[in-house]
Amino acid sequence: MMSAVLKLHEETHTMPGTDVGRIDIENASVVFNAPGGRKIEALAPTSLVIEPGSFISLIGPSGCGKSTLLNAVGGFVPITSGTIRLDGEPVTGINPDVGVVFQQYALFPWFTALGNVLFALKRFPISKEERRDRAYQALKEVGLEGRENTFPGQLSGGMRQRVALARTFVTSPKVLLMDEPFGALDAQTRVVMHEILLRIWEARKSTVIFVTHDVDEALILSDKAHIMSAGPGRIIETMDITDARPRLAHQMTENFLVNRNHIIGLLRQPGMGDH
Amino acid sequence: METQLKKYGQLVISLSGVVAVWWLVSATGLVNPNLFPAPPQVLTAAVELYQDGVLVSDLKISLTRAAVGFTIGASLGVLVGLLTARVFAFKVALEPFLTLLRPIPAIALVPIAIVWFGIGEGSKYFVIAYTVFLAVWLNTHAGASGVAGTYIRAARSLGASRFREFFEVVVPAAAPHIVVGLRLGAALAFLSLVAAELSGASSGIGFRLQDARQFIQTDRMFVGLIQLGILGALLDAVFVIIGRRLVHWESA
Repeated sequence: MMSAVLKLHEETHTMPGTDVGRIDIENASVVFNAPGGRKIEALAPTSLVIEPGSFISLIGPSGCGKSTLLNAVGGFVPITSGTIRLDGEPVTGINPDVGVVFQQYALFPWFTALGNVLFALKRFPISKEERRDRAYQALKEVGLEGRENTFPGQLSGGMRQRVALARTFVTSPKVLLMDEPFGALDAQTRVVMHEILLRIWEARKSTVIFVTHDVDEALILSDKAHIMSAGPGRIIETMDITDARPRLAHQMTENFLVNRNHIIGLLRQPGMGDH
Repeated sequence: METQLKKYGQLVISLSGVVAVWWLVSATGLVNPNLFPAPPQVLTAAVELYQDGVLVSDLKISLTRAAVGFTIGASLGVLVGLLTARVFAFKVALEPFLTLLRPIPAIALVPIAIVWFGIGEGSKYFVIAYTVFLAVWLNTHAGASGVAGTYIRAARSLGASRFREFFEVVVPAAAPHIVVGLRLGAALAFLSLVAAELSGASSGIGFRLQDARQFIQTDRMFVGLIQLGILGALLDAVFVIIGRRLVHWESA
C-alpha cells in the first residue's frame, strides 16, 4: 500500500504541471512566550501561496522570521493564529511528506552515508533490495558513488550536506524545506551544491522553500524571492525572478544586477538593521 | 603504532623507576621493613600466596563478585537511565529519589546489606551492583536527556516511529555517555568490592588484606594492593578499547 504511494509520488513528479506540493498560508502568525511573561511576535500574520513545484526563497536579516515561517510549514513550530495547508490539509505537526535539510546537517554519525539514506526509506514496506537500490541511486545522484560506506565524520562539509540532500529527497517528499543549508560551506563548494540541488529539483519537482541571508544565492536558485524584515517578522516584498536557468554567478545578467541592487537596497533601509 | 610503543615505553620506565626508588629506600634501612617491606619481600609473599593457592582463588572469587555485581548494576543502570531520560512518568517517579541516593557511599551500605542478604555472596553483589547502578544510571540519564534536538527532528521528519527513534537515534546518541558510565562503573565495582570484602567475607582480595592485618603481614597487604591496581588498570584499558569500537564515530 505504502509502496504504491511511494511509486505514485515519483510518477506524478515526473509529470509536468503536477498539483502536488501546494502550500496555502493564511494569516499565519507565530508568537513565542519569552521569559518574564513577555510575548515576542516572531512572525506577524502572513499570507502566501506557494505554487506546486516552485522554488521560493525567504531572505532577510536574522530575526526576520524566515526560519520561523519555514519551521511553521514543517510543523516544527505551532502557529498562534491563521492556517497553513499543504495540498488542502492543515499542517498540524511534523509530516514525512515534508522533507527538511538542516543547516547543521543533522546526519546520524553512527550510520554510514548509506545507512543515513536507508533510515529515510525504512518506513516504506518495500523489499530490502529495493531499499538498497534506491539509496544507492540517491547517493549516485548527489555524486557520492563509492562513498556509500563512509561515516559522516570522515566526509567534508559539502559531502555531508550531499548525504543530507540524498536522505531527504530519496522518498520524493512533496515539499523540501531548506534552512540555510549551505551557510557553512565555502564559495566553491556552494556553487557545486547549487547545481546538484537544482538538478534534483528539476528531476523531482518538489516544492522548495529555501531560507538564506545570501542575496545572490536566492537570485541564482529561486523562482520567487520573499524579502522579509524584522520586528515583527514579516514579508515586505515579493520578487519574481524570471531569468532563464542556469544562472551563473560569474555571468550575471543586467536583470540579475538590478534585482540584486533592489534587494540589497531593501535590506539596507533604516530599521532593517541588525546584521 | 609508534605512539603505542612510546606509551608502553613510558609505562616501563615509570614503573621500574618507582620500584628502584622503593628498593633503594628499603636498602638504606631508614624504614622499618615490618611496616614498609622491600620489593623482594613482597615478591616472596606473592609466591607463598600463589603456592598456597589463595592468590588465584582470591582473584577468581573477587573477579566473579565484581563481574556479577557489575553486570546487574550496569544493565539496570542503562535501562533505568534510558527510561528516566525519555519517559516522563519514570523521570518524575525516580529521578529525585536516585539523585538523593547518590551521595550514600557503598561502604555505608555494607551493614544493611549483610542484614538483608547475609554474609554470603548476595550482600557483595548487592553493594557492588548498587554502586555501579548509580554511576551508570547518572551517565545514561544525562546522555539520553541531552540528545540534540536536531537528531530528534530529523528522525521524525524522516518518518521514524517512536520505537525506531528510540533505538536508532536516542540510544546511539547517548552511547558515548553510556560508555563513560560503564567505564566509571567498572572502577567503582572494584572500590565497592573491597569495601564489601573488608567486612564479612572469608575469601577474596579484600578479605586477604583484612586477614593480613591481623598478623601485621604488610608484605601480603602489598601483594593485595598491587593486585587491585593491576586488575583495575587492565579492566580500564579493556573498557577504553571496547568503548572506542562501540562509539567509533566519536573519535572520527
